[in-house]
Amino acid sequence: MLMKRLAAAAAIAVLGVGVAACGGTDPATPGPSTASFKAGSTMEKLNKAQKITIGTKFDQPGFGLKGLDGKPAGFDVEIGKLIAKELGIPADKIEWVETKSAVREEVIEKGTVDLVVATYTINDARKQRIAFAGPYYVAGQHIMVRSDDSSITGPDSFKEGTKKVCSVQGSTPATNIKKYLKDEATQLVLFGGYAECVDALKNKTVDAVTTDNVILLGFVASSNGAYKLAGNKFTDEPYGIGVKKDDTDFRNFINDLLEKIAKDGSYAKAWNDTAGKFDKNTPTAPAVNRY
Amino acid sequence: MNVLWEQFPVFRDGFLLTFQLSFLSAIGALLVGTLVAVLRISPVPPLRWLGTSYVNLFRNIPLTAVFVFVVVGLPLLGSSADFLKIPGLDQIFTRLGIDLPYFRFSIIALSLYTAAFVCEALRSGINAVPSGQAEAARSIGLTFTQNLRFIVLPQAWRAAIVPLGSVIIAMIKNSAIAGFMGLYGDLSSRGQELVSAGVNGVTYPLIPVFIAISLGFLIMTVPLGLLLDRIEKNRMVKAR
Amino acid sequence: MAQPLIELNSVNKWFGSLHVLRDVNLTVDRGEVVVVIGPSGSGKSTLCRAINRLETINSGTITFDGQPLPAEGRALARLRADVGMVFQSFNLFAHLTILQNVTLGPIKVRGESKANARERAMQLLERVGIANQADKYPAQLSGGQQQRAAIARALAMQPKAMLFDEPTSALDPEMVGEVLEVMTSLAAGGMTMIVVTHEMGFARHAAKRVVFMADGELVEQAAPAEFFGNPQSERAKDFLSKVLQH
Ligand SMILES: Nc1ncnc2c1ncn2[C@@H]1O[C@H](COP(=O)(O)OP(=O)(O)OP(=O)(O)O)[C@@H](O)[C@H]1O
Ligand SMILES: [Mg+2]
Repeated sequence: MLMKRLAAAAAIAVLGVGVAACGGTDPATPGPSTASFKAGSTMEKLNKAQKITIGTKFDQPGFGLKGLDGKPAGFDVEIGKLIAKELGIPADKIEWVETKSAVREEVIEKGTVDLVVATYTINDARKQRIAFAGPYYVAGQHIMVRSDDSSITGPDSFKEGTKKVCSVQGSTPATNIKKYLKDEATQLVLFGGYAECVDALKNKTVDAVTTDNVILLGFVASSNGAYKLAGNKFTDEPYGIGVKKDDTDFRNFINDLLEKIAKDGSYAKAWNDTAGKFDKNTPTAPAVNRY
Repeated sequence: MNVLWEQFPVFRDGFLLTFQLSFLSAIGALLVGTLVAVLRISPVPPLRWLGTSYVNLFRNIPLTAVFVFVVVGLPLLGSSADFLKIPGLDQIFTRLGIDLPYFRFSIIALSLYTAAFVCEALRSGINAVPSGQAEAARSIGLTFTQNLRFIVLPQAWRAAIVPLGSVIIAMIKNSAIAGFMGLYGDLSSRGQELVSAGVNGVTYPLIPVFIAISLGFLIMTVPLGLLLDRIEKNRMVKAR
Repeated sequence: MAQPLIELNSVNKWFGSLHVLRDVNLTVDRGEVVVVIGPSGSGKSTLCRAINRLETINSGTITFDGQPLPAEGRALARLRADVGMVFQSFNLFAHLTILQNVTLGPIKVRGESKANARERAMQLLERVGIANQADKYPAQLSGGQQQRAAIARALAMQPKAMLFDEPTSALDPEMVGEVLEVMTSLAAGGMTMIVVTHEMGFARHAAKRVVFMADGELVEQAAPAEFFGNPQSERAKDFLSKVLQH
C-alpha cells in the first residue's frame, strides 16, 4: 500500500519537473542556462550562488584522477561538469572535493558537497542514507589481457580449461569467475592485491586479470598499451550520483539531465574524451531508475 | 557453526591443500635448515659467513617479503620452480606438477623462511651435544662431514626435536599467507572467501568461519604437539 | 737405532696468556709405555691432545711415525685414525650401541666391510670382557664397562699408538681394576702407549718410563723404579710425598 502511494507521488514529481526542465533548456545551445528554477529548490540555490561543490575520486584513472593541474579529470568529472552547466554554473566555478569510498554517504549527509559522482555503486544499503540519481553508467566485471593476446574473448574462454586468470583473494569478482573455470586448481590465481595480478600477467604466469572494469581501466591506462580489455563485461554494477536523501527535486533534475545528454551526444563525448581512451566500446547510457 | 556442515567440502578441500603445503614445506625447511646449520658450524670461514648471513636475513624480514621475492622474483628470473615437479611425488601432490607455479612458489617461500628457524633450532641442538662426542669422533679419524653426519647431527636432531616441532607448528600457521600470494584454495583463504564473497550470494559470519578454520589447523598442529611430547618422553627414558 | 714413533721437539702452547706447555721435548719408541704424572693443571692432558692434534701448538714440532702432524683435512683424519685416544669421560657415542660404537670407525674410516668390522669388534669386546653388552647403549653400562668399550673402540682402528688421558679418574674405585687390567695386557702385548694417570701402581708395573710434568714443563723422566725410588727434583719429591701418602 505504502509502496504504491510513494510510487505515485514520485511519478507526479517526475512529470512536473520534467515539464519544467524541458521547457527551460535547449540542448542545441549549450552555455549557461537562463531557466528559472523552482523557488527554494537546490537548483535555484546553486544557480544563484554560481558555485557548486562536487565530490569525486581523485585516484581512479578514467573516472576521477587528479592531474598535474590539481584538477580531477575523467568520466565522472565530465558528468559533474554537465550537471553544473545545466545549473548555469561554469566549469571553473566547480569546487572538486576528493571523496574516497568510505566517506561518500557522510559528506552528502553533512552537506559538505552538493553531490557525489565517484564510481558510486547504487545499492539498497546506501539508499537508506542518501538518494541516487542515475544510473549513468553500468560498471561490471571485465577481463584484462595482454594486448597481443586475442585468444581470450570473454569469460567463456576459460571454460576450455587452459587459460589462467588472476584476481584478488576474497573478492566478489574472484567468486564470480569460478563458474567459468573448468578446474580452479590449475586456472585460478589469487593475490592480496591487483598489483601482483598485473605482475603475473606481465610475466605470463597468468593469461588474464579479472575484476571491475573500472579498476582494470586504470591498469590499461597506465600500461602504455601493454594490456587491453577483452570482450564485454559480464556482471552489472550500476553507478549513480549521490544527493541528499530527501532532495527528490534535485534527483529528478539530474535524472532529466542524464536522459538529455544520452540523447544529445554529450554523454558519448564525455566517455570518449576520458575512459573511452582505454575502452573503445562506448557504453549506451542506461535507463535512469526513478525509484 | 552451521557453516562447517553446510560448507564442509570447502573446508575439507582447503584443509587438504594446506596440509599438503605444510607437509612439503616442512620437508623443504628441514633440508635447507640442516644445510644452513652445517654451513654455520663449518670450519671454512666463507661458508660460515654464508650460513650466518642466511639466518640473519631470513629470520629478520617478514614472511610476506620472502613471498614477494619468490612469487614475483622467480618469474622475473624466468623460473617456474619446475625443479619441484618431482616425478612420482607430483602424483600424490598433484598441485606440484601443474602449470601454475604458485603451489611450488609457496613451498619455496615457506621453506626458505622457516629454514632460518630450523637452522637455529638445530644449532641449539648441536650445542647441546657434549663436545666430547665430536672430539671422540675426530680421534677415530672421522672427517668433518662424517662427524656431522654420523655423530653430531643425529644427536643434535634429538636434542632439537622439540624446538624444531615448534618451528614447524609456526610454519603451518604461517602457510595461511600463501592464499594471498597466488595460491588458490588453502584453508584460511577459502574460509575467508565464505565471509567476504560468499557462495551463491550467501555470506557467512566471521566468527563461526574462523572457528572452523582454526579447527582445521588444530587437526594438524595438536597431533604434532602430542607426537613431540611423546618423542621427548621417550628420549628422557633412553637417556636415563 | 730405530726411529722413535712419537717425537716432540721444543713444543710450546699457550692458552691466551697461560703458558701450558713450555719447551717440551719427548720421544716415545715403538712398543714403549710411557706414563705421564704430575699435579693438576700441569699440562698433561694438553700434551696428550696435542699429539693427535685435538689441540694445536704454537711452536715446536711433533712428528708421528716419521711424519710431521698434518695441519687439516683428510691427512689429519688419517693420522688420528692411527692414534687411539681414550678419554677420562669415555665419550662413547650416546646414540649408538656399543657394537656400533666399535664398528663405526672401521666401516666409515677404514672402509671395512660391515661383516668384517662386526667380527673384529666382537673379538675386541670379548677381549675387554663386555661382549655380552654389545647391543646396549652406553648409558645402560657401568663406568668401567663404558671405558673398556671406549678402549675397544680405539683398538678397532688398529692404531699404531694409544693415548690415555686419566682413563680411570672418573670411575668408582671398584671399577678401576678392570680397566687397568685391560691396559696392562695391552702394554704387555707391545702396544705403544702414553698414559696420563694418577695410578702409581700401574706406573710402577706397566710403564717402561715415567715422565713427570709440572707447570707445563717436563721436569724429569726415568724408569719407574728409579723415579719412584730416587726422584731428582724437589717438585717430584714433593708431588710423590703427597700422592704416596694415600
Ligand atoms: N681449552 C682451554 N682454554 C684455556 N685454558 C685451558 C684449556 N684447556 C686447559 N686449559 C688450562 O691449561 C692448563 C693445563 O691444562 P691440562 O688439562 O693440560 O692440565 P692437566 O695436567 O691435564 O690437569 P688435570 O690433572 O687436572 O687433568 C690448566 O691451567 C687449564 O686450566
Ligand atoms: Mg687432564
